[in-house]
Amino acid sequence: MPKQLHQNICDKSLFESFFKTHAKNLHDFLFYKFGTHLNPEDKAQEAFVKLWENCKKVPPNKAKSYVFTIANNLMLNEVAHQKVVLKHQKTITTHHTNLSPEFLLEEKQYRQKLEQAIANLTEAQRVAFLLNRVEGKRFKEIATLLDISTKAVEKRIYGALKKLRQEIDEL
Amino acid sequence: MDKEQLILKWLDNNLTPQELEAFKALEDYDAIIKLSNYSQGFKAPNFDIEANYNAVLSKVNKTPKANKNWWTPVLKIAAILAICFGAYYYTTTLDTVIVTQLAEKSIIELPDNSSVNLNAQSSITYNTNQWTSKTREVSLKGEAFFKVEKGSTFNVITPSGTVTVIGTQFNVKQRLNYFEVTCFEGIVSVQSNDKKTILNAGQSFLIINNKTVNRSTVIKHNPDWIYNVSSFISVPLNQVLAEFERQYNVKIDAKNFDQNVLFSGKFTHDDITIALQSITQPLQLQYKKVNNTIILTRE
Repeated sequence: MPKQLHQNICDKSLFESFFKTHAKNLHDFLFYKFGTHLNPEDKAQEAFVKLWENCKKVPPNKAKSYVFTIANNLMLNEVAHQKVVLKHQKTITTHHTNLSPEFLLEEKQYRQKLEQAIANLTEAQRVAFLLNRVEGKRFKEIATLLDISTKAVEKRIYGALKKLRQEIDEL
Repeated sequence: MDKEQLILKWLDNNLTPQELEAFKALEDYDAIIKLSNYSQGFKAPNFDIEANYNAVLSKVNKTPKANKNWWTPVLKIAAILAICFGAYYYTTTLDTVIVTQLAEKSIIELPDNSSVNLNAQSSITYNTNQWTSKTREVSLKGEAFFKVEKGSTFNVITPSGTVTVIGTQFNVKQRLNYFEVTCFEGIVSVQSNDKKTILNAGQSFLIINNKTVNRSTVIKHNPDWIYNVSSFISVPLNQVLAEFERQYNVKIDAKNFDQNVLFSGKFTHDDITIALQSITQPLQLQYKKVNNTIILTRE
């Protein structure tokens, strides 16, 4: 463990670089775990505000888990066992203009099934899976982000894949 | 390499060209690719790092931190003071207890300037806070001579009975199987076993082994023990020996003869040899001193 240069994160430039490194990951994590209804952007900001306020008590090597924990708890306080709904953003459009109505219908149904299946995943599976497939993060990166082992990440992602396929293929 | 491992490597973007070919050959390939592609539609909204950072900065400046810091030390000090006050108040409402050991006497002044002479191996208890103009109360175990200032009713509560006075001088002796109250001045009321007795100056009240003994008058101002002499009139020997033990902090071994024989006489508290002679001669006894034990035998 390298010796720390700073006792805490109260230094403005230190705080700024810390923010720029971790804020997007925190936001995405909250989004994938809890969905959009509970305002993940706001919670992420709150967590960093709290970090600054308590900067004297938080050593830099604990700062990342600090903001993640705070943000997670803020979310949990708001969540009342609501079902997580990640709405499919219709940003992925195909360029083909001459698609048959049957194809479009089938596509719509697939999307709905996928949406439902993703919502049915456990939080752990969903977060790991989406960070990997959508954000393009590798297993090792995800392991560091979530503070778990690479093996655990593999288990979650593979489990998610299996479950999704089962739900979609079930007819 | 089994299917799962291959898929995992693909997910982690970790395939060699050969492995990639093997992956594409899987029958699940199409389904997996479709799943992966459509999952892109669930991407998190764009996170503008700069904008969010500025938002954090403005929120940080808004919170009034100064107030919180000022408040906490004040609360801490207030809490400590509250605890100190509580402890002080508690200890001043406790009873005052004074105890004498063997071979020890003590003089105590009560809150109303009444005084108590406490004989050896005795204790009195009273509560300063509850000492009002209406009731004055002490608990006594053992022997004490009271000089009570004129005032409200003064009660001495002993395990054997309660003595009530209003401004008098009296002696209370409460030992094992022995309860004696002597009035030296004024009027004393003794309540014992549901029986109330009034004593005038010079009169005394005595219960030995649960039997009330009538006493003749005594013309004195103070009990003898105040002047370091114990005197007895027809008192069972065991009571005499018990008092001896108290005054000299010794043990007396007198197993070999009847301790109920009555004794009249005195012994000093200041010289153990003379005191022993005072007891043994009238009863024709011999004594032997071994460390802290006195052995008495018949001649």
